[in-house]
Amino acid sequence: MKKKWMALVLTMIMVIPGLVACGATGTKATTTASAKTYKIAMICDSTISDGGWGAACYNAMVAAAKDNGFETQYTDGISSADFASSMRSYADLGFDLIFAPGNQYTDAVKEVAADYPDVDFALLNGTVETKNIASILPDAKQIGYMAGALAGLMTKTNSIGFIGGMELDTTKAKLACYEAAAKAVNPAVTVNSAYAGSFSDTAKGKEIAASMISINDVDVMFGDASAVDSGAREVLAGYKDKYDIGQPSDLLAIQKSDVVICSVVTDNATMLGLCMKDVMAGTFGNKTVYGDLSNGALSVGTFSSAVSEDVKTQYLAAVEKIKAGTFIK
Amino acid sequence: MNTKNNFIKIAVPIIAIICSFLVGAILIACIGGNPIEAFSYLFRGAFGTASNISDTFVKATPLIFTGLAATFAYRCGVFNLGAEGQFVMGAVASIWISTTLTGIPAPLQLVISIVGGAIAGGLWGVIPGILKITRGLNEMIVSIMLNYVAILFMGYLYSGPLREGSVPQTASVTARLARLFSPIRIPAGIIIALVLAAVIYYYLFYTSSGFKLRTVGLNRTAAEYNGFPVKKLILISFIVSGAIAGIGGSVELHGTQFRLMSGFGEGYGFDGVAIALIGQLNPIGTVLVAYLFAVLRKGATTMQVGTGLPTSVIDIIQALVIVFAVAGSAFVNLPKIRQVFTNLTGKSKKEGK
Amino acid sequence: MEAIMNVNFIQELLLSMVRMATPILIVALAELYSERAGMVNIGLDGMMAFGALAGFLTCYITNNPYLGILAGAICGILVNMVYAFCTITLGAEQIVYGMAINIFAPALASFIYKIYFGINSTLISNTLMSAVPIPFLSKIPVLGPVLFNHSPIVYLAYLLVPFTYVFFNKTKAGLNFKAVGEFPKAAESLGINVIRKKYLASIICGGLAGIGGAYLTTCYIGTYSDGVVSGRGFIALSAVIFGRWMPGGVLLAALLFGFTDALQLRMQVLNSGTPYQLLAMIPYLCTLFVLAFFGIKKAGPKANGRPFFKEER
Repeated sequence: MKKKWMALVLTMIMVIPGLVACGATGTKATTTASAKTYKIAMICDSTISDGGWGAACYNAMVAAAKDNGFETQYTDGISSADFASSMRSYADLGFDLIFAPGNQYTDAVKEVAADYPDVDFALLNGTVETKNIASILPDAKQIGYMAGALAGLMTKTNSIGFIGGMELDTTKAKLACYEAAAKAVNPAVTVNSAYAGSFSDTAKGKEIAASMISINDVDVMFGDASAVDSGAREVLAGYKDKYDIGQPSDLLAIQKSDVVICSVVTDNATMLGLCMKDVMAGTFGNKTVYGDLSNGALSVGTFSSAVSEDVKTQYLAAVEKIKAGTFIK
Repeated sequence: MNTKNNFIKIAVPIIAIICSFLVGAILIACIGGNPIEAFSYLFRGAFGTASNISDTFVKATPLIFTGLAATFAYRCGVFNLGAEGQFVMGAVASIWISTTLTGIPAPLQLVISIVGGAIAGGLWGVIPGILKITRGLNEMIVSIMLNYVAILFMGYLYSGPLREGSVPQTASVTARLARLFSPIRIPAGIIIALVLAAVIYYYLFYTSSGFKLRTVGLNRTAAEYNGFPVKKLILISFIVSGAIAGIGGSVELHGTQFRLMSGFGEGYGFDGVAIALIGQLNPIGTVLVAYLFAVLRKGATTMQVGTGLPTSVIDIIQALVIVFAVAGSAFVNLPKIRQVFTNLTGKSKKEGK
Repeated sequence: MEAIMNVNFIQELLLSMVRMATPILIVALAELYSERAGMVNIGLDGMMAFGALAGFLTCYITNNPYLGILAGAICGILVNMVYAFCTITLGAEQIVYGMAINIFAPALASFIYKIYFGINSTLISNTLMSAVPIPFLSKIPVLGPVLFNHSPIVYLAYLLVPFTYVFFNKTKAGLNFKAVGEFPKAAESLGINVIRKKYLASIICGGLAGIGGAYLTTCYIGTYSDGVVSGRGFIALSAVIFGRWMPGGVLLAALLFGFTDALQLRMQVLNSGTPYQLLAMIPYLCTLFVLAFFGIKKAGPKANGRPFFKEER
């Protein structure tokens, strides 16, 4: 009998703070509608210090926020079960725009957006458009073409590599175009690919790169796998003539590297900025912001000294063709 | 004597929880945060609005299942560390059933799916069981290996055969568990979990079969001496434990996630073991501790959002609860400490009369 | 197919096998010492994570990977002391406590990393320990580079194997050690200080596990991330059982795991058709099969996992 009383007491101990919290926060939660400081939040399943996707998206958000006067917040390292509840937390705390950097958040975004019609959601690589969801779609095919063209031109061993993280459709598209573009500039080239199955396992990146080099003498690599790419770069750095092409940030502009020859830059900041302007103007939603070479959202990054002038010229010519859509028939 | 024992059993986890929060507060203060503010965000995240309360229940549900699975197994003296794998296999069976058996009314599909999940979980759980009985293998390692195999298998399925769409994940299930009692929106899954907890409680403490099971766990030699079918009971405990975890996976799929994707079921298995132990291997305790863990998890994001503190602070607090609670239980069970308590009660008996 | 028969490929594969087997070997030996004294410690993953962070941070600050390894060892010991105190002195359940460490230590490591480094767009890296080729032996064709061109920690790990064998089977101290794991009461009556030996075992276990973790961030890859350990602690655990609690067996088990892991990755590159998850299952399925078909009943130290109380007679 006493035990049951104890159980009851325990439950009370847990519920009472809840009731207190309910009462106390009633007034705190609602932000003042006048003198509006807009707030944007980003959720991310990987860490934002991964030197890849997470970092690029976070930096894009911060840059866009600075331009438009938004406050920023973020939560990273979230498991898929927590996507929705994290977004709800932000929505509850009065955030105006929530940025979900990837297609895998689609379900969670749709669910939470339906419950919070006054909060806006920006979905990167998404294909959803509703009253309060807008998608940002960088052109994965062009990214693949750009990387493939450069790799095909740079390779001396006619063997290039590609590392994927998870088998997202965007990754598969990038790989297919990578291969097509490389072959278009260099018909003798062979492409080796592998999936690490994760965006954070740097050690795997190292092993995959090492095996590609030893089995097939790969000398130029391109990755779509964030932290895994860092591992691959470590291995490539140990050789004199092996290189890597980065994405989505302009790696050489951030840090000196002997391994990176160039990057395929995706300007998420500008596209996100467009969404922010929409939020402020009240015209958000029902649209997809496309990003490709023609509107500057995709661009060629800084070249390293390893790229000869000849290759540079050929490559930039190829990029013009990609932009015009005449590169691959 | 009995009530004093029970009092201690409940006091230990509570004190452990308080101690962990204290250490957590110190940690927060050390990095320049405000503990009071942090904790108020924590509670707000867990209880602040109706949808938050509902979300906390949602988070508690899978933990209750894996906690019950661990409790049941542990009561028979068996370590089921494979709850994660069994949870996943239950969901895998459910998604397979849901995508193959179309065209039957949703409630029926739901029932078949959950039963399928239970069977899958039970089968996955019986493997370490059989190996333990026939070859004397340590069930821990086998079940941990099976966890990895199950997760990889699930990964294979949602990236390949059962994949739908541009991201590696399966199609979503059509039969979904409802949310009841709007606006609080209690997920139906937790009702199932609570019913299961009650059933297990009844079985363990009020049936002769449950009694035999517990005896095997407490003193295997005595059980054998009394002619209890020890091997059969151990096998049953593995199967049932696995089945419970499998139902958990199924419920999580139909109630919350609706699809299999990367990270499904992550961490629930081991948390379940910890929950079972802190809850003193009692189904009721398990439910309460699972709810506490859910509160911590749900509140963590809000706390991080509100104060900017990293979520690992909450992970540390959660881990400390386990560390302190288990140490505390062991501490009060030490022969010397027991002596202290007996002396105390002995004295009061003499004086009180 | 001819790619596989290529000598270069095999050499690279074996090299990778040695690289990937080393942390497993070190940690498995750590567990061996612990279990031989009757303490089952499944908190290896946690200790490795904390050791990895300690090694990374120290190496980053001091630019000296050796100090990183040392820091890893010290931190591993500190973490394990919590485990030791609660299981030896308080008599808590060892399995459970190991799990508690597995949850606690990585959380603490992640916390410290975030606090120290904050937000960065690039993955922070530090200097790796450079390989020290053994002068003459590393020139042997094929096997030379595979066995003799590694960082010193790898050599240390392999030297530990015969050392452990000699310790446990030929020295008095080692035999006493084993007695603690087999028959603690008998050992106590012979004047062996059981409690002290158990603490010693925990110190060794923590130190080695910490080194194993630090190896990952100072010798293997130069970056730290939350998932850097990737369950290697549990693989090490099964290596101990696999190897039947003998140093030589543990070595073979570690090499086998390293081999299957390295092979599985390479097969992915060679054969992009097969889903990589199926290939990744290979190490685990191998373990299961070997355990199922060759496992022996109760081959471990007999008093494994049981707390020891002096008062119980």
